Amino acid sequence: MVPAPDRFAPGPLAAVFRRILQGLLTAWAAVSLTFLALRLAGGDPIANLLAQGLASPTQASNLRRALGLDQPIWTQYLHYLGGLVRGDLGVSLYTSRDVSTVIGERIPPTAALASAGLIVALLIGLILGVTAAWSSRRPIGIVAGLLSSLALTLPVAVTGVLSILGLSLAFRAIPGADFLANLQSLVLPAFVLGFASSGGIARLVQTGLTESLNKPYILAAKARGLPVGARLLWHALRPALPPVISLTALEASFLFSGTVVTETVFSRPGLGRLLVTSILRGDFPVAQGIVVMAALVYTGGHILADLLALAIDPRLRRLI
Amino acid sequence: MIRHNRVFVAVLVAAVLSGVTIGCASQSAGDSLVSYGLTLSPTGIDPHLNASLELGIPLSSVYDTLVFQDPETGAFVPGLAQEWTVSADGLEYTFSLRHDVTFHDGTPFNAEAVVTNFDYVLNPDNHSQRAAFMMGPIEGVQAVDEYTVRLSLGQPFAPLLDSLSQVYLGMASPLALEQWGPAEYQFHQIGTGPYRFLEYVPDDHLSLVRNPDYNWGPSIYKRSQGEVESFVFKFYEDPATRLLALQGGQVDVIGELPPRDAAQIEGSDAFDLLPVAIPGQPLQLMFNTRQPPTHDLQVRRALIMGVDRASIVRTVFGNYSPVAIGPLASNGLSPTPTNANLDFDQAAARQILLQAGWEAGLGGTRLRQGIPLALDVVVPSWGSNPEVGQLIEAAWEELGAQVRLTVAPGFGQLKEMQAAGDYNAIGYNTFGADPDLLRSFFHSDGLYNWTGVDHDGLDRLLDQAAQTTGDPDTRRQLYEQVSSIIQDEALILPVRDYVDLIGYNRRVQGLQFSYQGWFPLLIDLRLAH
Repeated sequence: MVPAPDRFAPGPLAAVFRRILQGLLTAWAAVSLTFLALRLAGGDPIANLLAQGLASPTQASNLRRALGLDQPIWTQYLHYLGGLVRGDLGVSLYTSRDVSTVIGERIPPTAALASAGLIVALLIGLILGVTAAWSSRRPIGIVAGLLSSLALTLPVAVTGVLSILGLSLAFRAIPGADFLANLQSLVLPAFVLGFASSGGIARLVQTGLTESLNKPYILAAKARGLPVGARLLWHALRPALPPVISLTALEASFLFSGTVVTETVFSRPGLGRLLVTSILRGDFPVAQGIVVMAALVYTGGHILADLLALAIDPRLRRLI
Repeated sequence: MIRHNRVFVAVLVAAVLSGVTIGCASQSAGDSLVSYGLTLSPTGIDPHLNASLELGIPLSSVYDTLVFQDPETGAFVPGLAQEWTVSADGLEYTFSLRHDVTFHDGTPFNAEAVVTNFDYVLNPDNHSQRAAFMMGPIEGVQAVDEYTVRLSLGQPFAPLLDSLSQVYLGMASPLALEQWGPAEYQFHQIGTGPYRFLEYVPDDHLSLVRNPDYNWGPSIYKRSQGEVESFVFKFYEDPATRLLALQGGQVDVIGELPPRDAAQIEGSDAFDLLPVAIPGQPLQLMFNTRQPPTHDLQVRRALIMGVDRASIVRTVFGNYSPVAIGPLASNGLSPTPTNANLDFDQAAARQILLQAGWEAGLGGTRLRQGIPLALDVVVPSWGSNPEVGQLIEAAWEELGAQVRLTVAPGFGQLKEMQAAGDYNAIGYNTFGADPDLLRSFFHSDGLYNWTGVDHDGLDRLLDQAAQTTGDPDTRRQLYEQVSSIIQDEALILPVRDYVDLIGYNRRVQGLQFSYQGWFPLLIDLRLAH
């Protein structure tokens, strides 16, 4: 069918462009909500700064004025948005450092943990999911299903502390804390984090795979003499992947925006801890900066996931 | 299709590899390295601008102060100032400085350096959150000659020497302050102390290395042979991980152990425990005297007597914390006299409530003229306050009160709930060796007058005590009077004196803390061979 010449036919590029616009809108909404929420629920930042009670009331109001916190909230909001448009995230209330610098310092450790955790999540998730679907009636399949349920339900705070405890018990006899420290600084948190994220992936893989294994084209492929194993698996797995990719993108965006509990339990620097401390200590500019970044990461993750899904499942290309 | 996947896999592999390399960057262990666990990651670590206590643990050894405080007696001893005089009216302090001191960057220490430091702290554009307020009514800092400095005050200010002895007013290299400015100086700190600041990566680590030129230390440093070459400080914010870090060998010393964990290592072969009493205001509930029913003195008295403080402290804090007996921790300046009004006596508490007209109603809740005895209690989320709050809630419900307990996640929220004004009691504690702390809380004009007290006698005593310089005995007596008014008015329910439970590996010896309690004297640490 030939499209009418006067009708605008949106291609993949337009879809991506629309996604970016949506993302910016989401970021703006997130920032505005955070801005208001922090000021309504976050408490008085000046009180946080002066928690030790040494200042006099006059000194406290001088500090409030110096930090521009005596202005009406709408003035502060417009001022903040204005800065944002120019790419200026403001300065930390505590240290006068640029928020972009403060956040930038936490990106490498967060990215390292997130990418390692994501790999682990994908590996464990795929292995558990495929095993559970492929051997659904054998003990190994049942164990895989159980493990993925555990991954879904056990909180990171528990698995994290347990893994540290296990490691220190296992290696108590071996001197050389350096080796242990290195293991604890990335490998262990990556596994704990990856395990937690693998549960959902495993479940999606399992249901998708079970469904497609019962489809007639699998029977047809078998009939055509396709060897049972990797190739057939790929055949069945491919149509099950798009939702897995969407979920993985969501998990990835979550991981790359920082993971509070894992970072705290393993004493790692990162965006999650920075966000929580900034909120609790009333360092609004930093907290807002992280939210802006997270909103952009989520948007980017979704666009990437859409493109990947298009690449893997040709049927989706017709839908755009 | 396949090509797409290969690219994807390649990206993932690259990401993993880069992650692994970052994680494996190994730390070189020096000859004598002590690893020290901090429990809170400060938002900023410039002591002149930021208020955190945690920063003082490493940085008290990077900076020297004009005077030092004897860890045992609290007496002030010469530091960077070899001697000082105070004018008769208490308004001028003149310090003669040592001539032989250089900063870690080679800059000589002199009167100009002192002036630059105070200017840096007092400059309103630098937003100092603590040091500036520790100077009280300061009016001017002047270099009289190369090695003499004069501080002028608008009013006498008794806590000044206490302030000058703390890291927040430690002397920094004027060159470095100028070069880095208020935002970045925290990463490039330069003092004159026994250790040099090497590196700080927020939330990750801070490291110090010994200053080989240090020979101008105060008399409180013992300085025997075998000083530790370097320190690395790491952050363990999750209390559950602290003992594990100590037992796993990742730290040699760590503070703020949970009481249960502390009991595990006390007297063990490899580790030991050092409970350190921290001066300041104990953990307490402050009663709101402007809100019914706690506006009634009799109700406040009954609420105090209805709580078995000793058993609460034992339950929550083990056997390590003294039960608080007044508005100041018992090792502070004012030894609070024992007060029978504080003793646990449920029957007497019930009697007082009955006499005040609160009669037991249906379901056990007391009523007066049809109004139930309802109490709004706000406690902070940190420092075991929620557990203490729950036990007090139970005790008050047993007296026949309806209690609503709210936990404030941060100080800002706590302050906000306080500002709303409809609370009956609010939990808080502060740290500091000088009792002038009380002025913010119990003076009618105080920034933290959370009891809403407006008592002429208290105001007068607190002002007078703040201005009584050079006569510690008189000052002590003034605070004793303050303390007894606070008790007579039943303004607070004191709970426990703060104790920092420090766990350490027995290979570390000579662990000792400053008079303020939090800050270790790192130069006197030794490693057993």
